[in-house]
Amino acid sequence: MDVLLTVNGQQHRLDLDIRVTLLDALRERLGLTGTKKGCDQGQCGACTVLVGGRRVLSCFILAATVDGEVTTIEGLAGEGDPLHPMQQAFLDCDAFQCGYCTPGQILSAIACVQEGHAESEDEIHEYMSGNLCRCAAYPKIVEAVQRAKPLMQVQAKESD
Amino acid sequence: MAEDPKTATAGSPFGKPQVRIDGRAKVTGRALYPSDEPVGNPAYAFLLTSAIARGRIRRFDLGEARAVEGVLDILTHETAGGEAKPPEMQSGGKTTTTLESDRVWHDGQIIGVVVANSYEIAREAAFRVRVHYEKEAPSASFGSPGAEEEVREPGEHKDYRVGNADAELASAEVTVDGWYGTPTQHHNPIELFTTTCAWENGKLTIWEPSQFVYGLRGNVAGQLGIDPEDVRVVSRFVGGAFGSKGGATARTAWIAVAARRVNRPVKLVATRDQGFTIVTYRAETRHHLQLAATRDGRLTALRHEGWELTSRPSDYNVSGTETTARMYACPNILTKVNIVHADRNTPGFMRAPPDTPYMFPLECAMDELAARLGIDPIELRRINDTQTDPTNGQTFSSRHLMDCFDRGAERFGWSRRDPRPGSMSNGDWLVGLGCASAAYPSNIAATAARVSLRPDGHARVQIAAHDIGTGAYTVVAIMAADQLGLAPEQVTVEMGDSSLPPASLAAGSSHTATITHAVAKACGELRDRIARAATTSNNGPLAGRDPATLVLSAGRLTAPDGAAEPLVDAVKRLTPGALEVYAENIPKGLSPEAMETLYKGKPPMSRGQNREDVTAYAFGAQFVEVRVHSRTREIRVPRMVGAFASGRIVNPLTAHSQYMGGMIWGLGAALLEKTEIDPRHARYVNDNISEYHIPVNADVRRVEVIMIPETDRDVNPLGVKGIGEIGIVGVNAAIANAVFHATGKRIRQLPIRIEDLL
Ligand code: FES
Ligand code: FES
Repeated sequence: MDVLLTVNGQQHRLDLDIRVTLLDALRERLGLTGTKKGCDQGQCGACTVLVGGRRVLSCFILAATVDGEVTTIEGLAGEGDPLHPMQQAFLDCDAFQCGYCTPGQILSAIACVQEGHAESEDEIHEYMSGNLCRCAAYPKIVEAVQRAKPLMQVQAKESD
Repeated sequence: MAEDPKTATAGSPFGKPQVRIDGRAKVTGRALYPSDEPVGNPAYAFLLTSAIARGRIRRFDLGEARAVEGVLDILTHETAGGEAKPPEMQSGGKTTTTLESDRVWHDGQIIGVVVANSYEIAREAAFRVRVHYEKEAPSASFGSPGAEEEVREPGEHKDYRVGNADAELASAEVTVDGWYGTPTQHHNPIELFTTTCAWENGKLTIWEPSQFVYGLRGNVAGQLGIDPEDVRVVSRFVGGAFGSKGGATARTAWIAVAARRVNRPVKLVATRDQGFTIVTYRAETRHHLQLAATRDGRLTALRHEGWELTSRPSDYNVSGTETTARMYACPNILTKVNIVHADRNTPGFMRAPPDTPYMFPLECAMDELAARLGIDPIELRRINDTQTDPTNGQTFSSRHLMDCFDRGAERFGWSRRDPRPGSMSNGDWLVGLGCASAAYPSNIAATAARVSLRPDGHARVQIAAHDIGTGAYTVVAIMAADQLGLAPEQVTVEMGDSSLPPASLAAGSSHTATITHAVAKACGELRDRIARAATTSNNGPLAGRDPATLVLSAGRLTAPDGAAEPLVDAVKRLTPGALEVYAENIPKGLSPEAMETLYKGKPPMSRGQNREDVTAYAFGAQFVEVRVHSRTREIRVPRMVGAFASGRIVNPLTAHSQYMGGMIWGLGAALLEKTEIDPRHARYVNDNISEYHIPVNADVRRVEVIMIPETDRDVNPLGVKGIGEIGIVGVNAAIANAVFHATGKRIRQLPIRIEDLL
């Protein structure tokens, strides 16, 4: 089936088996392997991407049904570019170990701030619980979200 | 290497918090995990796994599956069984087989591989394969009909018999006696178990997340009957391992066979539920633990007997009595370990394999004894602390257990604990404070490294080491920078590839000690060459100096009198290009053949509990606050404090993450994690990551880590002990002890759940 996907601002026309998930389309067809497969059944959050700015589990959605622009981890900062404040905060806080859940955590964290669900430490713990981290970087993930939030708000104001 | 390598000179990055050098790659999605590596035109594999736990395969109906358009091949014992031999267990013993025969040893065993043009096609065809079994009644666990028990003979692990524990237990003033159990648990790294194989001109490349690329290389070569030199394993990044990626598993050779048969690269991403049965896991254990003591709290006997569940053919066991026998001064010690065989997949290493299950009963029993005697649990440990290994009279290379307790207690606020169970509360919540000791042996292995220094002052380190999230890339950069007088940013590190100089297994808290010594040795030889050239040349500022006194720091080669030469000039004297050194480090106590062993894919490891000069362990103290809801009995953990004395810390930033991760693993192991098994069919029930509960963000609140500075000249020249395992050790007991303190209920079977407290 012919599928049109807009990913990180770029349009792609793909001929896909209708069963292909957005996750597999990104990884196996577009070479965007920053989005990770941790369960393929909507349980771990490793495959989180943004569709139209909202967090979505890309293993849980068929590529053919995607409605909106997709942002993956590769779309946040180009090679050599300054990092997104959330990426920088994860790096500085050491909010990961193996890094496998990290792309999903970062996209989820950006959405968490934008949704207004990062108002308190408790709220971040709850609203980041859909992204599992087996290395258990959780306290540092919460710290990173708190650190990035004001910087994201400044950036948002500047671009207004 | 100089006996005492100079480290932590002024300006050295050793021991200072350093952001991961591979961190940017990880936060931008550019770090390539093995299944991310681009391969041209791959075919996709889907595993067929058994739906019974014991029996034989009578036949396969493959017609319908083969008819699916795009299917390339189906491997079964009938079509491909002779093309590979089973892998060797990391522990050396026997294990279950897969496609080699019609035999089914356990639920979820690999019985076939479907290969197709796409993942979707392979999956569909796999579901269309019909398998006809000859079923036999399986044994699921301890106590199941047909489960076979045997005494574990001393081999890799020893039993201890000091004095006469049985006689002392029969006549002692005070005894505690309890039966304990820990459940089946699965590593569940977030990265799935993947394998990609490609052949080119008779040479095989394997991309697979691995804790031991040389081990996987040697194993697969042996399985396929080819030269290890013709196999390359690439594993630049690993999405969590925790022991699950240490040994070779059956899948790899079958994917290699599949790739050879279809003459195309083949890519496997096993499903999450398959991950429960195609690799190892933490075995279920039982314990009988008895202590005897005087009324003033001195231990007079320790008797610890363990039972470990394993598969039918395997004698895998972890025998954590090696640690429990060494924890406290005690004149009468008896340990014994039994193996129980059932129709299960073979277990294996999982974070602190021996100590997580075995320290649980000991540390709970110590708490029980303290309560019985009316002695504070920390004081009871102080009374029985020792600098001498009670099993053999050797001294510990260093042991700062009580410093850990004292610093941890202070931070935790232990002094506000009212020792009476159920005496503390906060609103509707009962509050419990508990503690436990932690310990883990300090291990080190033989390893090689190649270091090259370019005239522009950049260094490159090549070592087939593994960064499984531990921060090994950064540790190598820090070590090389420290030794060469550079900044970590000036060091490029290449790892995770068996075409690099061999490094041992990243497991057993050995890797940091192992790789830092190899890197330091190579850097030391490099420095010597530069220094010799600088002092023997007739011109140059260092001519005539004693080369042994020159140091590399801040990009210069400097003599004690202050004369110096820029590193760039000193290197240029030797070569216009890069100066390169390859060095092998064989730690004290290992045989000269250690490197040969490593090249063949076996880890040559010196173990802290087996040394003949000292006994080498790291120690720690765990503190946990639990809250138990007075009506619903919901259990929460608002706070954990861990204090650890584990030699010199190379990078406190990543070390903190590692300790913290270990402690949270302990929380999971104590309160959440259990793989449930259907007792009739011996099949796992909750084989997915939503019903197998690992801690999520909302389960975890304050976790504080205290690193106690420790100098240890005997453990190894750099004084580095490992830290990957000790963070989890003792947490399960600290939580059980806190639950007792909150509720007065002593729960001896993990995980502790609401229903245990009703
Ligand atoms: S891979 Fe999508 S939620 Fe786990
Ligand atoms: S960093 Fe390893 S799973 Fe989160």
